[in-house]
Amino acid sequence: MKENLGEQVTGETPVGWRLQTIKKRAVIQLMGSRVWGRFNPNHWDVDYAKSTGLSAPIQTGEMTSAYISEMCVNHFGRHFFCGSRVACKYINATVADEVISVHGVISQKLVVEEGWRFVVDVWCENEVGDKKTVGTVEVTVPTADKDEIQ
Amino acid sequence: MTSDERDPATAEKATQGHWVRPQTEMQREQTRVFIESLEEDCQPYWEMVEVGDVLSRELCLTPELVVMYADGVEDFNPWYEAWKMNVWRIPGVSPFGSAIVPPLLLSHFILSVQFDHTKPFSIGSIHTFHDSEIIAPIYVGATVQIKTEAIEKFVKRDRRYVRHRAEVYDLSDGEVKFRETRDILSL
Repeated sequence: MKENLGEQVTGETPVGWRLQTIKKRAVIQLMGSRVWGRFNPNHWDVDYAKSTGLSAPIQTGEMTSAYISEMCVNHFGRHFFCGSRVACKYINATVADEVISVHGVISQKLVVEEGWRFVVDVWCENEVGDKKTVGTVEVTVPTADKDEIQ
Repeated sequence: MTSDERDPATAEKATQGHWVRPQTEMQREQTRVFIESLEEDCQPYWEMVEVGDVLSRELCLTPELVVMYADGVEDFNPWYEAWKMNVWRIPGVSPFGSAIVPPLLLSHFILSVQFDHTKPFSIGSIHTFHDSEIIAPIYVGATVQIKTEAIEKFVKRDRRYVRHRAEVYDLSDGEVKFRETRDILSL
C-alpha cells in the first residue's frame, strides 16, 4: 500500500532532529464523544465544568497522548508498534477550543543489539506556549538485517 | 501566561460561546437530565480503591470502536481502518497485514477497567501520568483482556494519588501486547 507518512527515522538520523509538528483543535464535540469524554460532563458541558471550578470543559489527557502517538507513527512507522515506550505527564489541562501543537526532538540515540534505540522528548502546548503534556518516547529502529517486517 | 489568560480574541470567543454546542431549550433539558443521571452517590477514588485490588474485563476491538476512537482525535491513518463507508467491514491493510489498532488505544480503555464499572463513577479524579509499553501490534477484531491492579496509594504535595499497573492480553494467542503504569489524582 502507498504509505502517507513523514520522513522516516533511520540509523542515519541524528540527535537533535525534530519530528514534524502536528496541530489539533480541542473541539468540544470531539471531547464529549461517546468513546472519549461523554461519561464525564467536565469534558463537554460548560455549565457543569464551571460548577466544578473549571473555566471551561477540559479534554481527557489521553487525547494529547494520542496526538503524540500520531506524530510518532508519522516518523517511526511500523517500528512504533514493536517494543516502544511512551511516558507522559499531564501537567496542565487542555481547555475547549485551544489549538494544541505537538512537538518532538530526538534527545538520545543508543546502539542496541537490534539497531538503534531513539529517545524522543515530546510535548504538547497551546497557542501561547503553555505546556499541557510532557513526556518521553523510546523507539527501536532495527538494522535492515534485523528488521522482521520489510 | 497560563491557560486562563489566553489571548483576548480567544477569551472573547469563549465568553461569547462561539465554540459551545448550540442548543435549543429542549436540548438543554435533555442535557440536564443526562447529567443528573450521572450524578450518583460518588465517593473519592482514593476511598474506592485498596492496594492489591485486581480487576479484569474483556474488550472486543471491533472495527467500529477503533474508528470511533481514531475519529475523536482526528487520526486518519489508513492502517487503523477496518470499516469503510459504503463497504463497511473490511480486513484493512497495515505493515503487519490486516488493520491494527492505534498504539495508545488500549491506554484509553484501561480507565474503564481500573474504575470498577459496577460502582458509581468517581467524578473529580484526574489522570495525571502514564508509562506505556507498546509491545506488539494488535489486530482490529481481536478480543483482549485488560487486567489492572492497584499497586500503590501515595500523597505528594498534599495531593492523593492511586497508581495502577495494567496488562493487556491478546486472547487470540495469550500474549501480553500492551503494559502500562498509570496514576490517578483523587479528590
